[in-house]
Amino acid sequence: MSRRYDSRTTIFSPEGRLYQVEYALEAISHAGTALGILAKDGIVLAAEKKVTSKLLEQDTSAEKLYTLNDNMICAVAGMTADANILINYARQNAQRYLLTYNEEIPCEQLVRRLCDLKQGYTQHGGLRPFGVSFIYAGYDPLREFQLYQSNPSGNYGGWKATSVGANNASAQSLLKQDYKEDCDLKEACAMAVKVLSKTMDSTKLSSEKIEFATVGRTPEGKVYHHLWNADEINALLKEHGLAKVDDEPEAGDIK
Amino acid sequence: MTQHRAALRLRLASSSSRHSSSTRPVTLFLPSSSSSSSPSSPLHLSAKRIIDYVLLGITGKDFVLMAASKAAMRGPTILKAEDDKTRQLNKHNLMIYSGEAGDTVQFAEYINANISLYSMRNDSELRPEAVANFVRSELARSLRSRNAYSVNLLLGGVDPISEKPHLYWMDYLASLAPVPYAAHGYAQYYCLSTLDKHHHPDITLEQGLKLLTMCTDELKRRLPIDYKGVLVKVVTKDGVKVLDFDNDRIVKSA
Amino acid sequence: MSSPFDINGGACVAMVGKDCVAIACDLRLGMQALTVSNNFPKLFNFGPSTFLGLTGLATDVSTVSDLFRYKVNMYRLREERNIAPQTLANLVSSSLYEKRFGPFFVSPVVAGVNYTTGKPFICGFDSIGCIDFAKDFIVSGTASEQLFGTCEGLWEPDMSPDDLFETISQALLSAVDRDALSGWGAQVYIIEKDKVTKRLLKGRQD
Repeated sequence: MSRRYDSRTTIFSPEGRLYQVEYALEAISHAGTALGILAKDGIVLAAEKKVTSKLLEQDTSAEKLYTLNDNMICAVAGMTADANILINYARQNAQRYLLTYNEEIPCEQLVRRLCDLKQGYTQHGGLRPFGVSFIYAGYDPLREFQLYQSNPSGNYGGWKATSVGANNASAQSLLKQDYKEDCDLKEACAMAVKVLSKTMDSTKLSSEKIEFATVGRTPEGKVYHHLWNADEINALLKEHGLAKVDDEPEAGDIK
Repeated sequence: MTQHRAALRLRLASSSSRHSSSTRPVTLFLPSSSSSSSPSSPLHLSAKRIIDYVLLGITGKDFVLMAASKAAMRGPTILKAEDDKTRQLNKHNLMIYSGEAGDTVQFAEYINANISLYSMRNDSELRPEAVANFVRSELARSLRSRNAYSVNLLLGGVDPISEKPHLYWMDYLASLAPVPYAAHGYAQYYCLSTLDKHHHPDITLEQGLKLLTMCTDELKRRLPIDYKGVLVKVVTKDGVKVLDFDNDRIVKSA
Repeated sequence: MSSPFDINGGACVAMVGKDCVAIACDLRLGMQALTVSNNFPKLFNFGPSTFLGLTGLATDVSTVSDLFRYKVNMYRLREERNIAPQTLANLVSSSLYEKRFGPFFVSPVVAGVNYTTGKPFICGFDSIGCIDFAKDFIVSGTASEQLFGTCEGLWEPDMSPDDLFETISQALLSAVDRDALSGWGAQVYIIEKDKVTKRLLKGRQD
């Protein structure tokens, strides 16, 4: 019966649901986990990288964390191909704003512009919605550090800590449990790896399996964002006793 | 009429000679407004003299003082003596303008509407730097169109976050410069030297008004037109306010 | 009848040294003979060791610099690396030629050190994007004639960063003193492979 209503994005089912949007959300819930935590002096984003095969070339560029402009980054959960389109759209919008106003686009405005585009695909016929959820971390002078999340329906909201992708329900409850108001960036990083280690299949992590990024302020007060490299991630994991020991066989690995 | 060829200067990659090559002139950039064809675009760049009104802006410690003459003129005739050439764009930003009749109000309304729209859409107001650059980008876009606006502007504002005053000078070519004090039209020639000598970045409003009086006195003394006094407004962190200004002071001409 | 290149005034010069380059500009913004601002820089940064200098019509200096900021930012995000001076030069050239029949009235100068080869690079352009590569120096702006003279006299090959700073500064200041449309202080950048030094020169204020 439902087949009659789910082939088109623009048609409500008798229960008032948009099946295509729900299917998109479903697709995302199988993607690698991504999470973000807002601290008083910065934001941390972390994501699980699904390594599908040992033969896959591990290129240097990130696959789940992207820079949007000089003061905003985002984490992606869902279809990477769809995400690339949206990220390019966001980057161009941010640069266009910079061109017109000679100031960086306020975070919420960029999130909203992206969500307006996503929303369009739930209403105009013939096309499927974007199968991506984002977590955005950014800074603007008016509202300082901000964390947002958006999904394929075009809804977005501001959060103190949030997660998307596989196991996001358990990640969310872990975050709710552990989140401390006015924690600093270092504590937030610790919380991020801890939550990630619990929601991922293997308890021992490595830089090949996760990506990490922070937005913060330098001692001189300049806002920076930084996508961490492998050594920095490994150092953090080691510090929290979550690093993988090299020859320890991993669950699922056939030796 | 010499045709303008500088736009087409071509230099050979190897030589450093800078002589103009006499290539076909670009018709778009014929020099004078007297050229017969097509409506004149400001890119005719004869540094055109649009009707001169007095526009003045002075920044101080925590304010921007803006003054615009009250006469509306057409040729030598004064059409109106209580003209308002100011426009409040949002709580902390004020624009004063002069230029070709029609263009001025039309452009000001357009900017005003767009800045208001931004405030409504985003629940936050644009800061002075953003306002200035938005106005510049609109004027620069218009400059490359067939009929561009001929408007000279001063933009004054106070940043609601840092509470610092900002003043921007912009001409009809959309050249934008942040300045501590500024003037447009003939007022530039009479007032800038006075301001050069007496202005300080941390003057109080009282000192600012005194400085403004020195400027208007100088205009009364040396400018052969009656500009019907100035309308004076001040921008502070609390918004825009009209100030009482004594326009009836008698100044003996030189 | 004044040319659009001479309305606002301004000067820019770039020079090559040994494993370093320098680029400098004056700070004046005028309307014909009247000076409006004495703090209008004409040098723009497009990466750790790549600079663009723009002289000519002030409105186009702003428009063009903003446009290249857009393009270079997009390049950096897409390529995940900084733009090389050679690449910027070709971007400038093609972008200006796009406006062949309604050009921007600017004379750009590119200066930088290539971050992979470590080689210094400078070049200049006319307003429609013809590149002028040079091994010694590039000049542009209303004081370009004067700059040709001073640079020709002062420049020598393989100068150290300190000598280069001295030379470019003297060349620019002497040139703008003989040009009514430029001056009012200057900005100098000395670019080495992993170091950029910015200096402000006071100059004559008249």
